[in-house]
Amino acid sequence: MASNAAAPFWRAAGMTYITYSNICANLVRNCLKEPYKTEALSREKVHFAVTKFVDGNPQKPIVRSDSGTA
Amino acid sequence: MAMAAALRREGRRFASPLISSQPITHVRSSLIPGEHVPLGARSISTQIVRNRMKSVKNIQKITKAMKMVAASKLRLIQTRAENSRGLWQPFTALLGDTPSVDVKKNVIVTISSDKGLCGGINSTAVKVSRAINRLTSGPDKETKYVILGEKAKVQLIRDSKKSITICMTELQRNPLNYTQVSVLADDILKNVEYDALRIVFNKFQSVVSFIPTMATVLSPEVVERETESEGKLGDLDSYEIEGGETKGEILQNLSEFQFSCVLFNAVMENACSEQGARMSAMDSSSRNAGDMLDRLTLTYNRTRQASITTELTEIISGAAALES
Repeated sequence: MASNAAAPFWRAAGMTYITYSNICANLVRNCLKEPYKTEALSREKVHFAVTKFVDGNPQKPIVRSDSGTA
Repeated sequence: MAMAAALRREGRRFASPLISSQPITHVRSSLIPGEHVPLGARSISTQIVRNRMKSVKNIQKITKAMKMVAASKLRLIQTRAENSRGLWQPFTALLGDTPSVDVKKNVIVTISSDKGLCGGINSTAVKVSRAINRLTSGPDKETKYVILGEKAKVQLIRDSKKSITICMTELQRNPLNYTQVSVLADDILKNVEYDALRIVFNKFQSVVSFIPTMATVLSPEVVERETESEGKLGDLDSYEIEGGETKGEILQNLSEFQFSCVLFNAVMENACSEQGARMSAMDSSSRNAGDMLDRLTLTYNRTRQASITTELTEIISGAAALES
């Protein structure tokens, strides 16, 4: 079946369903006409800082910004 | 935040003489001549009280402004938070919310704010997380924290440093949106091993009431186990699955998507509660500043009156002494 083969291809690439759906959502947003397109794209801004903890000590924070689908 | 720093500094300055057991007597005691007044000055100086009144007035202005800002932010975010409730409701209908599920690897996702001055919502979230930690811990069980927001990090780092895995901050630099939260959820999923994710947040009820809430997201394996062994999710098998995917794949996709949706709602609700709490906190602090100002004005006027009376008495008695 087509979907049977299609389902794991993004998972095989190491993506989760969330990443996959985000890429799809971004594609849909890019299909909008102009005034709405920039509006929709500028609405979905990504910015946060991630600090990992190793043995109770915070490591250097990594800032993740924009590029919605990373 | 500069404003917060100024507030804190001013607060500390007052805290010692004013907000102790007997506020008024302390103010008065600082007005007793000879304590602060330079040597040889005749009348009682009201300089100190005047300065204090000025700074209380300034603080009141700041808190009023913060209240206005919080109120307008709350209006913006409230509708979005209420609309986002539609995201998790279908999932709860399908997969259920099973807070009592007993699994080995628990991950507590504590959601808090980055900024302070918003009442007790961050402490409540931390308290609830600790309680859940105690409830879920046991022999050969593992509980980890994932923290969103600066304030919970500061509180949890003190006693459960070892069990923190990731901490995420600066969420509200841009207005909250689904893409951001889903990227964040993705980061959490990739970095944490879990059987059950427990998301702790303050659910927005009204401007003055926030309910600390826990939402549970199970891993696909646990969902499968629960559906098969006549567990808590018995009726999932009655749904027909379309397409060629196996049940395991579907469940994995579903639980990942569920996590990002639930997290989005939780972040929105918490941001909404934060603004509401900040609004009421700032409201009560401007009221307190008003009360303090009233007290200080009373003291100030009384002292001024007293010094005028003293001067008058001196003049009159001096004149009387000359006449006789």
